[in-house]
Amino acid sequence: MAITERPSSLPPAAPTPPWHRRSVRNQLFQGAYLIATALVIVYVINALNLREFGFGFLGDPAGFAVPNQWLIDYDGVTNSRFVMYLVAIWASIRVMLVAIAFATIIGVLVGVARLSSNWLLARMAMLFVEIFRNTPLLVQIVLWYAILIVAIPPIGEVFNIGNAYYLSNRGIAIPWPVPDPGWWNAANWLVWVWVALLAAAGGAAWWVRRGRIARERDTGQPHYPNRWAFSLFAVAALVTFIALGAPVSIDKPIIEGTHYLEGMIITPEFAALVLGLSAYTASFIAEIVRAGIQALPTGQSEAANAIGLTGYQRLTVIILPQALRQIIPSITNQYLNINKNSSLASAVLFADLFFVAGVFQNKTGRALEMFVLIIVTYMLISLLISAVMNVINARVTTHRV
Amino acid sequence: MAELPQPAEARPPGRVVLPPHRERARRPFADRARDWARHNLFPSRGGTLLTLISFALLVLLLCGVIWYVFFGADWSVVSSNRWLLFAGSFPRDEEWRLWVGVAVVFFMIGVAYGLWSRFNRRDLLFVAIASAFLIFLMAHGGAAAWSSIWFLVALALMFGGYVVAVRIPRDNSRLRVRANRIGIALIALALPIVLLILMVGGGAVSTDFDGFVLNVILAPVGIVGGLVVAIPLAIGRASSLRIISWTCTAYIELVRGAPLLGWLFVALFILDDVIGGSLVVRTMVVLAVFTGAYMAEYIRGGLQALHHGQDEAARAVGLSRRQTLQLIIMPQALRVSIPPLVGQAISIWKDTSLVSVILPMRELKGNADSAIAQTEFIADRIEAYVFVAVIFWIVAFTMSRISQRVERAQGVGER
Repeated sequence: MAITERPSSLPPAAPTPPWHRRSVRNQLFQGAYLIATALVIVYVINALNLREFGFGFLGDPAGFAVPNQWLIDYDGVTNSRFVMYLVAIWASIRVMLVAIAFATIIGVLVGVARLSSNWLLARMAMLFVEIFRNTPLLVQIVLWYAILIVAIPPIGEVFNIGNAYYLSNRGIAIPWPVPDPGWWNAANWLVWVWVALLAAAGGAAWWVRRGRIARERDTGQPHYPNRWAFSLFAVAALVTFIALGAPVSIDKPIIEGTHYLEGMIITPEFAALVLGLSAYTASFIAEIVRAGIQALPTGQSEAANAIGLTGYQRLTVIILPQALRQIIPSITNQYLNINKNSSLASAVLFADLFFVAGVFQNKTGRALEMFVLIIVTYMLISLLISAVMNVINARVTTHRV
Repeated sequence: MAELPQPAEARPPGRVVLPPHRERARRPFADRARDWARHNLFPSRGGTLLTLISFALLVLLLCGVIWYVFFGADWSVVSSNRWLLFAGSFPRDEEWRLWVGVAVVFFMIGVAYGLWSRFNRRDLLFVAIASAFLIFLMAHGGAAAWSSIWFLVALALMFGGYVVAVRIPRDNSRLRVRANRIGIALIALALPIVLLILMVGGGAVSTDFDGFVLNVILAPVGIVGGLVVAIPLAIGRASSLRIISWTCTAYIELVRGAPLLGWLFVALFILDDVIGGSLVVRTMVVLAVFTGAYMAEYIRGGLQALHHGQDEAARAVGLSRRQTLQLIIMPQALRVSIPPLVGQAISIWKDTSLVSVILPMRELKGNADSAIAQTEFIADRIEAYVFVAVIFWIVAFTMSRISQRVERAQGVGER
């Protein structure tokens, strides 16, 4: 039935025009698409009027300072705007790190609790998820902030423990170690001694770890290589540090007028932001953890029960390590969301990078430059988070028997 | 054929022995309750401790919430600012337009539930509690009792639509097919219909949208606009044509790289030079563009979840590329991606609250800020924000409930 030859009764076939060929049409289509895209881009660039585009204004001093800075003392007169932007990036990163830690801990706990055989606990975990997941993060943050401001006594009636720990609606202030600037400079040979000692401790820890891994392999008994290595290093670092004279001073906070000075200050803005980000993200992480655990075959739990593991062992040795493979990619997404959501700091006037960029825009009118700076910064932080999480992911998914 | 084995022992006279699980269900309620509690609440010493701690925590929380709601809080900031919070600068004379819009939306929800799902007891309980809350909010203090009448009319329309739609038989009859089409068309047209009701014939203008009304208009625009942007983007990203797939990927990653606040910053300061238009329209464009990038990723996930045999089979039966996409690939990919798409819809609903952070536009949260800026309510920030949170929560929770129902009705997750 297959037609192999063209019947001679038909007129000879016209040659196929090239634009009927799929490859040619694809190229034509792509060409047209490219021209259209280029036209749009040219139009946008033209509309944006890029003649004055440039980042030179970042070199000027900003003329204002932000409270509660870290790393350097920014004064707004001698330092440039760019330095202030770096300070603001560091403020954002601090929020992110703390929020990521809290969100992960709370999220895993709640996610596991949602699958608990304890009915009440499971229901309460569900309540937590439904409440925090379905409320806007912005509203949560301003609500936390309102609660912190209203519920905690003002600084006139500060809650004071031993003239060292303070709690008021200006925040929490606690003593904090500050490195001694006279000791910490490259000219001091003791610094290099300490660095050398640290390197030696690191080498020793590595050697111990390797030995313990080998023994673990030979005997089949646990010898906790990582715990030993880490503890050894930490103890060695601490002992040598104290032996060299512990060149830090403890800064005690003091109250001057309506402000704290010195010490470690956790402002209510920071606390509200971290509380909001942690609770909101934890509700999503809890759902991710639950889905990851539920995706495991039930035989894993049953087998763990059958060999007599306790509930805690079952969870930490059997269930979670396996569930992590599915959990980590989704949790990475949540960390990226924390990165972007930290921009909500503006709502409580916490000087994060977005807020400071907004102030610069306000002062200079350079909207496009500031937007480019914002998007590049967030993308770089996202890339950093993704890179770290990829390393972790590779470890937990390949380090298996 | 061998003889069937006879039962070894005779049944006890007068009583049929059922399988174990049904036997257990037969025992008196008190026994069953005791067993259930022993299993689920007091399995061991540790389990009992956990239950007691959770119980104490729950009681503490409940007591705190009840005390706060009835004694601790001063809700006058909400009751004196009802119109400000919900409609803000929307012209008062045109209030009926809002209510007609609400009635249309409620009617559509009723029809959709009747067509593709059923109200169960929990749904009805939720509707009853939420309605009671809203009616209390509207009626107490003697202000404008007729707005609760409007609300009741909308509720009646919802149940009317439901009762009619639920009677349509669930088979393959022509009536059913037609009803499905009408239902889908209604949902697709809901947004333009409501906007028409609000704006046509001397009604509101776009700058009148304010307070809760602004949230309710921005979110669907973001969702529908996002879908419109997302479908070609997802197809483009999955395309075998390099240039198209690269540019689509670049677009998606660029948009996802910056937070929504950053894009609203663009709408405020930069987009004016590029597309012009009023700020509300620019915000809508930005919301659609932003949501579209995220939705495109979810749809791409749906595309990747399809077996390539689907594509090959469609080509083999002679469908064109466009037909393959339209009839075979997209319907299945969209069905698989319903859960994340609804998640994104809920997310954009919550994100409409960001509009008032940097834009000179006041949605529900922004108007709550205006409310507590009044001198007499300066101490009532918590009350105002709790109220805002509850309103956002009700809508988001309703959306997630409806989505669960849609997933079940569409058999998402089943192949």
